[in-house]
Amino acid sequence: MSATPCPRLFEAEAMRDGRLTGPKQTSFERHVAMCPACSREVQALEALAESVRASPLDHTAADELHVRRERTRLLAAFDRALLAPRRSWSAGHRLLWPAAVLGLVVAILFLPRVRRSAEAPEHASSAVVHADSTAVWSERSEGDRENVVLERGALWIHVDHSSGEGRLVVVLPDGELEDIGTTFMVSAEDGRTTRVAVQEGHVVLRLRRQAPIALGPGDTWTPDPRPVASAWASVVPSADPAPTTRIDRGERRTPSPRSSTSLAASPASDPSVDFRAAMAALDVGDNHQAATAFADFLEKHPRDPRSEDAAYLRVVALQRSGDSAGMKHAALEYLRRYPAGFRQAEVEPLSR
Amino acid sequence: MITRRATSQFLVRGNVPPTPDPDILRQVACGEIGALGELYDRYQETIRRFVARATCDAEDVDDLVHATFLAAAKSAERYDGRPSCRPWLIGIAAQLLRRRRQSFGRFLAVLSSLRGVRPTAADPRPTLQARSDLERALIRISAAKRITLLMAEVEGLSCAEIAAALGVPIGTVWTRLHAARRELRRALEDGEAS
Repeated sequence: MSATPCPRLFEAEAMRDGRLTGPKQTSFERHVAMCPACSREVQALEALAESVRASPLDHTAADELHVRRERTRLLAAFDRALLAPRRSWSAGHRLLWPAAVLGLVVAILFLPRVRRSAEAPEHASSAVVHADSTAVWSERSEGDRENVVLERGALWIHVDHSSGEGRLVVVLPDGELEDIGTTFMVSAEDGRTTRVAVQEGHVVLRLRRQAPIALGPGDTWTPDPRPVASAWASVVPSADPAPTTRIDRGERRTPSPRSSTSLAASPASDPSVDFRAAMAALDVGDNHQAATAFADFLEKHPRDPRSEDAAYLRVVALQRSGDSAGMKHAALEYLRRYPAGFRQAEVEPLSR
Repeated sequence: MITRRATSQFLVRGNVPPTPDPDILRQVACGEIGALGELYDRYQETIRRFVARATCDAEDVDDLVHATFLAAAKSAERYDGRPSCRPWLIGIAAQLLRRRRQSFGRFLAVLSSLRGVRPTAADPRPTLQARSDLERALIRISAAKRITLLMAEVEGLSCAEIAAALGVPIGTVWTRLHAARRELRRALEDGEAS
């Protein structure tokens, strides 16, 4: 004779899935304490879950090197996506369509007057450029790339990327600005860029001898007039100060960096800290210091999984700093240490 | 004075707690490549394990993990600000798995229409023979049920989080969980009986 199953048995699964709350849950928990069938059901469900958790279905566990390579692949893809024109628009951007169309119509109607100081022969159909009265600028196409060459003055630019797949690059006296967003303002005086302000979307500012700077909505970039010694001076000695810039990050401002005093007091033997310090120096364009910091990292942590990255980035830093002899030496050192290295193809030409 | 955000992130050291996930995602949304690296370091193992389990060790695990983080970077500006983005990333991975399954299904349908024959799946027996009873049972249940079960029992997501991540009603999540458990238990009982 078989026992009649408990009519509340189904509540065991309901409780597990969060379907029972409040008094119903309390009531069932009291019931489980007294009902052997429901108690067994609760235990069986937990045992099943435990078996699933313990089941090693993922037989392809990745080793450290594989993870590092996949990481590099991801960051390279992200970098490419960052620089490519945006094709997918967010819902927020789609709401701006009517405004963009209206702006385009206004620009077409008033463009001859706005561009009285310009020498541009043709205007990109997907870009609206407003120039101030002092602006000297021109425009030219190179394949799918539209170049707006700004010699001096200020331009307000709105780009509608959804109507075309081309790139828009503002060529500046001391670098270039690639638009990957929608609306921004850029100005230049005396052979140098003086201000970039992004209203919507994103831009990448590439100034000579500096790492690319990504600016987002609300960000304003201005060059710092003071030749300030790098914050990394206390971590890695440097021969000359780094080129510095100032970025005001709209509403997304983050806490200010620590002072160099606090850096000096921090431990220097942590490989992650050392690697990040070197990366940060590279990121802000402090190439001499980055090269020294990567060399220090290699010396202190030769067995660290990031040592190959560090050796390669040292070559990059030396190349950016214009130290050809040092770069060649570092490239040879990379090839000696990593004869089948991940970056071998890139480093080999630099070693000659 | 350097006020670059990327730099301030690198300056954090010592006993200072790691950058919170919402801040990391804000930086990713601004195009900061180092922040994406940080996000990858933090969650690649979780996502890899989830994808490998959900696909039963498919060969494109790497590509799916890669696509998950790229999709996360593209959607970073829409992140809702929860303290941990782990459920969100798992949800993205689950969506990609669903699309992959649908694409594969369409591909098989086109193939069969071209050849005029019913598509035949690869013979799973060699793989199945190497597995335990539970693994075999997990592989045999439908991908939708398996993914739902893994999200709940392995990754610890609530049914509401799973429903939001997969874009299905919460009732569907409950039904899938119930069916998955029933099929697993039946398969295990049959395995013990034989």
